[in-house]
Amino acid sequence: MSAFGIGLVTGTGAVSPLGRSAPEFYARLTSGESAIRPLPPEARKDLQATHAGRYEGFSPQPEIPQMKARRLDRGSQFALIACAQAVAEAGYAIGDDPEGIGIAMGTGSAGAGALTEFLRVLILESPEAAPPFHFPNTVANAPASQVSIELKIYGPNVTITQKDPSALNALLFSTLALGSGRARAMLAGAVDEWNPFYAMGFDRVGALRGEKRESGIVQGEGAFVILLEEEQAVRRRGAVPLARLSGIASAGVASEPYRFAPDPRAMERAMRGALGDAGAEPGDVDLWLSSRDGVREMDQAEAQAASAVFGGQSKVPRELSVKDAIGEMAAAGGAQLVAASRAIAAGQARRALVNSFGAGGNFLAAVMESAE
Amino acid sequence: MSDRRVVVTGLGAVTAVGGDVAETWSSLVAGRCGIRALTLFDPALYRTQTAAQIDHIPDSFIDPRRRRRMSRADRIGIVAAREALGQAGIDPAREDPTRMGVILGGGVSGLMDSEANYARMIAGRPARPSGFLNHQPDAITDRLAEYFGLRGIKSTITTACSSSAVSMGYAYDAIRHGLADVVLTGGSDVLARLTYGGFNSLRSVDPNPCRPFDRNRKGLSIGEAAGILVFEEAGRARRRGAEILAEFRGYGVTSDAYHMTAPDPSGSAGGRTIRAALENAGVNPADVDYVNAHGTATPQNDSAETAALKAALGERAREIPVSSIKSMIGHCLCASGAIEAVATALTVRDGKIPPTIHYSHPDPACDLDYVPNVARDVDVDVALSNSFAFGGNSSVVVLTRYA
Repeated sequence: MSAFGIGLVTGTGAVSPLGRSAPEFYARLTSGESAIRPLPPEARKDLQATHAGRYEGFSPQPEIPQMKARRLDRGSQFALIACAQAVAEAGYAIGDDPEGIGIAMGTGSAGAGALTEFLRVLILESPEAAPPFHFPNTVANAPASQVSIELKIYGPNVTITQKDPSALNALLFSTLALGSGRARAMLAGAVDEWNPFYAMGFDRVGALRGEKRESGIVQGEGAFVILLEEEQAVRRRGAVPLARLSGIASAGVASEPYRFAPDPRAMERAMRGALGDAGAEPGDVDLWLSSRDGVREMDQAEAQAASAVFGGQSKVPRELSVKDAIGEMAAAGGAQLVAASRAIAAGQARRALVNSFGAGGNFLAAVMESAE
Repeated sequence: MSDRRVVVTGLGAVTAVGGDVAETWSSLVAGRCGIRALTLFDPALYRTQTAAQIDHIPDSFIDPRRRRRMSRADRIGIVAAREALGQAGIDPAREDPTRMGVILGGGVSGLMDSEANYARMIAGRPARPSGFLNHQPDAITDRLAEYFGLRGIKSTITTACSSSAVSMGYAYDAIRHGLADVVLTGGSDVLARLTYGGFNSLRSVDPNPCRPFDRNRKGLSIGEAAGILVFEEAGRARRRGAEILAEFRGYGVTSDAYHMTAPDPSGSAGGRTIRAALENAGVNPADVDYVNAHGTATPQNDSAETAALKAALGERAREIPVSSIKSMIGHCLCASGAIEAVATALTVRDGKIPPTIHYSHPDPACDLDYVPNVARDVDVDVALSNSFAFGGNSSVVVLTRYA
């Protein structure tokens, strides 16, 4: 067992093009369905990228009343619905101890819509015309903060931006918050919104898979969150946990921003670190949520690291890649945590290893297992 | 594990009043104002034309070929980090790089270039890849890890104006729980049209240099800065004979759950954060000797912060000095918690409290001792530094003399 605040997962939430609840997301994911679709011409414009996992036709209703939804940007709407689902599934009464619960969300794009709209008016019209309403939403922390305001969460409220592994960074922050007595429960996850300027940016730097580019990611969007609670608190209130988070580790590579750092030894360090933290052996893992996202050199390095950790290609456990189904984004790490929790709760796995490896050389891994 | 303590062994700073810690600190103690004409972009159409802008970046040691790929935030961040590591006497090439991390507050990063790129895009012209490379707030974190060869934990907190305060708290927890032995923490944030225009649109800027806690305060002055701190596990610092500047004793991080832009005027939300910090640090209100205030000079913040100090510290709030260095270096947004922690650590080391300048009219809603206009010599064993942010992301850090 880890030396610090590892806890039990008691709730999950998902708002995604592959389902508007965690159970629906998990069922469609494991049935082999994918939410990746061709980009329509008005969104694609002159991009190399041909596909994305966008939540087309999303409406914040019925969960968020129309008047309230108007005040929330797209990412905040995703996050609020997903967090409310996790709290409801856990049967957690926030009002009983509002200071005891916190939120840590990862994101790579939250605020993109507000930011580009604010700048558009500022540039095309004038600074005086720029809409003040949008400014607070240009910052990445808007979704977590809107959730804390709506759900009346008084504990730690944190947002982390660290590319693809943002969600696992938020999870690591959460375990430290629990282990340091800053909270007894943490909503941990991630949120992203698809945005044309961000699509253009990632496309121009060569990160997106496209017509003439076989290696690269497909962008997605959505919100995925788990509720992580201190074990004693869960037992005290008699709640039924879905899974246990038993280990987490982070390893870095000294890399320039946005450069891929396909370093299998650093990846191995993260995977072995998480297993060691959990006191588990590689052979105990029966489900592997890989970070595989279509960036060829990174995927090859991860396969190499997995082979080394598990003791040969033939011993690598069953792989589940969420990114084939929903694309890559900061929120994909949240989707991996939700999928691992549900697989364990359904008895389809006893122990899962989650890899989340990003550009810039930031590699995290987590171990989840049966809570029994 | 939890008996591991965290100390500050290195500081680095680049601000509008100094290219390093020594110059910045002597300017702050002298009450020198760094808020002046903004020249980085044309401010003609904004309500204000001033900022605490850095006019010279002392980064001639960076290879020009590498510098070309760096944002302004990267450049001042590297200058400050190099100074901090130098003071700490840590050469990362001689250490186990996997035990050394980087946890920063993320600001606008390379948004200045990205804004120009976006302007091209909406004008229907092709965007440049280089204009997007440093767009994300985490670019600076990767950049410092790359430049100094650090391979441990790496993370970027994005909670607006409390980003770098929270990042220090995260670094503290990471070291205490054994995830790292040394962490470069703090932040680097620079001017951009987005943030300048944002506070302009909210009409929370003062056309003159800002006047924290003054009755006639009209809003903030935007600034830019890098403040980098070397956090180190205390036992390791002692064993190698490092000079310990201060102890990072704990922090509080809470959610106002009140409003996206307005602080809770009752002080109840801010008071919760201060209490959480004191509890985490194991210090009583009576032990607090000084508060480095958030003190943005917006009408709402300064009265709410005053109420929060009274709510959390009781009578002690009236007995101790409270000052805002934003009166000199402006509101450095996502780096404000970091640069203010650098100043607070120096207050603990030197027993000098920098003043709140531009203060002339007492406000009945702000009735504490704000150290008006002139620095003061006071022995400080326990100091707080407050950071509040849009979204209600509040954080308070506790720095103490190490004993």
